[in-house]
Amino acid sequence: MRRTISILLVCFMLVGLLAGCGSEPASTSPSPDTSAPAESTSAGSAQDAELVDRKFTKTRSITVEVYDRGNDGGTPPENNFYTNFIKEGMLRDHNVEVTFVPVGRWTEVEEINNLLAAGDAPDICVTYSYPTIQTYANMGGVLDMGPYLREYKDLLPNLYGLLTERNLFWNEDPETGTVWAIEALLFNNARINTFVREDWLKKLNLPEPTTLEEFENMLRAFKNNAQLLLGSEAKQMIPFSISYDIGWRADHLLAAFVPDSMTDKEAYINGFDDRHILYPGIKEGVRVLNKWYNEGLIWQDFNLYGAGDTTEDNLMKAGYVGSFIHNWDYPYRNGEEGIQANLQKLVGPDAAYIAVAPFKNDAGVYRKFLANPIDRKIFFPSTNDEPLASLLYLDWISKLENRRFLQIGEEGVTHEVMPDGAIKTLAVTGEKIMNSPNNIDYTITINGLDLGDPELNAKSLALNYAGVDARYIERAFELSKKDGRIIPQFNVGEIKAEEGMGPALASKRDNFLVQAVCCPPDQFDAVWDAGMQDYLNSGGQAIIDERAAKFAQFYEK
Amino acid sequence: MPKLVQAWLDIKVFSAPGVQNMESKGDTTVKTVSLQSSPGRGYKALAYFKRYWTLYLLLLLPMTYFIIFKYIPMHYILIAFKKYSIVQSVWEMPWAANNGFEYFIKAFSNKDFLNALRNTIMLNFLDLLCGFPAPIILALLLNELPFPRYKRVTQTIAYMPHFLSWIIIAGMAKQLFAPSTGLVNNALDALGLGRVEFLNDPTYWVITYIFLGIWQSVGWNTIIYLAAITAINPELYEAAEMDGAGRFRKMWHITLPGIRPTIVTLLILSLGRILGSEFDRPYALSNHMVNNVSNVISIFVYKYGIQGLQFSLATAVGLFQSVVCVIFLFAANALAKKFGERGVW
Repeated sequence: MRRTISILLVCFMLVGLLAGCGSEPASTSPSPDTSAPAESTSAGSAQDAELVDRKFTKTRSITVEVYDRGNDGGTPPENNFYTNFIKEGMLRDHNVEVTFVPVGRWTEVEEINNLLAAGDAPDICVTYSYPTIQTYANMGGVLDMGPYLREYKDLLPNLYGLLTERNLFWNEDPETGTVWAIEALLFNNARINTFVREDWLKKLNLPEPTTLEEFENMLRAFKNNAQLLLGSEAKQMIPFSISYDIGWRADHLLAAFVPDSMTDKEAYINGFDDRHILYPGIKEGVRVLNKWYNEGLIWQDFNLYGAGDTTEDNLMKAGYVGSFIHNWDYPYRNGEEGIQANLQKLVGPDAAYIAVAPFKNDAGVYRKFLANPIDRKIFFPSTNDEPLASLLYLDWISKLENRRFLQIGEEGVTHEVMPDGAIKTLAVTGEKIMNSPNNIDYTITINGLDLGDPELNAKSLALNYAGVDARYIERAFELSKKDGRIIPQFNVGEIKAEEGMGPALASKRDNFLVQAVCCPPDQFDAVWDAGMQDYLNSGGQAIIDERAAKFAQFYEK
Repeated sequence: MPKLVQAWLDIKVFSAPGVQNMESKGDTTVKTVSLQSSPGRGYKALAYFKRYWTLYLLLLLPMTYFIIFKYIPMHYILIAFKKYSIVQSVWEMPWAANNGFEYFIKAFSNKDFLNALRNTIMLNFLDLLCGFPAPIILALLLNELPFPRYKRVTQTIAYMPHFLSWIIIAGMAKQLFAPSTGLVNNALDALGLGRVEFLNDPTYWVITYIFLGIWQSVGWNTIIYLAAITAINPELYEAAEMDGAGRFRKMWHITLPGIRPTIVTLLILSLGRILGSEFDRPYALSNHMVNNVSNVISIFVYKYGIQGLQFSLATAVGLFQSVVCVIFLFAANALAKKFGERGVW
């Protein structure tokens, strides 16, 4: 009897197991079947017939990627007050059902990768990495947006109005005409600033530095007066702080060493690296950092810390850091949690970082390199069978009225209107919290506050930083763009040598820059030259050569 | 007794050579041999299966698991020899150039890969050299402790770090070893010994890396040796005492030979990992000053494969790594058998 029972049990287990295996293919197999007819009906101009007054006669549904920042006290990025606003609007105006797919902000490339490989990628995908899209496109995983953009131009007035042909066809291949991705608009291209402690300058009776020499003397003055500035904590003094990302964190200093005579062509050919490491003159800029480091003017332990480490921020908040170069609004961000707010809490109400412009180039101007007006890249994976509905979605969120609401939210809740019409941002918690500043994750076609009026924008921007005096913001905004130069785009199509090289070359760059800053001064040339040689041999030179050849092919006929 | 239980006990005895050690060795091997070499083998095997088929039925479950989740996905190894495409199945992808070996050639002509290969071998070898004897020595020391309670407390403290993730250990290392603010360096400075660049200088970094590895795993690895030591017959120690052997004599002539099979087994398994590489330990501990020694194969795969989307290249490197590991495993096992040990299988 027992034997029979045990045999029966084993048999049940087996059946269960087989059923488990069997159900897997069974559940996946119908999905291609259901998608096939949808594809055939939506292809080409058959769609027009089903569209009345830009509204589908039959409800369509699309999926849209949204960044998940996992912010404290945030709402689910795929289902909250603002997504409901979009969902209702899309259903009302275009009869399109929208589902959001959350993707981790800091692991977006890896996650999108998995989704694409599984055939589950959202219909509208967003990423900051164009090389990623190019790689997918080469594998046949991306839809060519070109034909749709051209065919449906009349149906997309807001999208064309906001992004213009420039951003929409930014990535158009000059030979094949393919458009793998459109570029969102970078509305505010302020980039980087040099900050110094305003209260320390006052204490030491120093003027704001306006030249490299004055800046250097200021750093020495900070170091020599550590006792006065920090008292018992004098040992903690850091006149200038930096991170492993030298190219970003010394940007204004390095840019001042680039000859003003550099042509756009040179800039393009040597422009693969987004930290401009291949531009002429950079080496001498890094030499200055090397001198400072060996003189003890730079934070001595910076080379231990990697991306995302908050040690340096904490040193700034604690009041040990005299100056640094970073994102144009870095100390003013994050309200109560920000650097300026904490600094004033811990040190005193006078303590503040103020933006300065000390680095002039050989032509005597405060040259810095600003970004082109492009931001995130939006693409449709090849599994997207609703290209028109997807484009209508992009059109809908590009409409001023809609994106304005998404950026500033409800009056009296997330913003208040000042007497002069400027919008002041209010901190909010609960269901109407914005998970990203100005809901940048939902307004995927634009980055930067735009209320439709330039004057209003400037005023509102200064009020966009809760708890920070507007004069700091206005000044930072102005200096960040002062004497800026934008290298125009040269559209030569894909550079094959760049494929897959970005991360490897970027980490090589960071390594040798850090080593060049930290080595003894007499070894600087050797370390730099070896590092640069390695960078060029590992793919850098191939990229330069291909860029030069492509440039000659398309622009020097 | 129910038949199933009886069968289970039989099987346990039958399969003993694989799992059990020493004591019962003699008679079980005899049993195996007799079963395999007796004349009525075919009939016996049939009788055997007739009796135990339910157990084999049970075995089907784990076997199915391994086949479905470990063997079937393995065909994707083919992408090491193919041009990877995200939208094609592995059979449809075109073969890579150079008879499919394009990516192997690419890897071996890549300076970063060769550097990573060197670092992997160097760090693993040093780990083996310093890290392998450490738990044996600690186990011997613990075994000699006369107070059981003190022994237990020491052992617990020693194996606790095993549960810390490398991210936490790396954070602690920065707090302790940072050149200008680290606790250890402050202490060294106060003693007039000067500051040491534990984490910024390549040579010191390697030492710190190995040291932290031992610190993290020594206690945990001791457990298996201590278990082996308890299996040694106490009469042997008594006999040795009668012959006038001291502590060191007993350690050398009884304890160490007693745990030798365990040591050999673990050594073979470690050799099988000589080219394997952890990711979090070197990744968390490394920084931009020591990249030339901290860049190991797993980091190379991450950087080029996952971040750079060069899946075929990363798979080729991974396959190479696995093949070398398997070769080492077999070679070490064969060597161990040659020297009279039992080996892993």
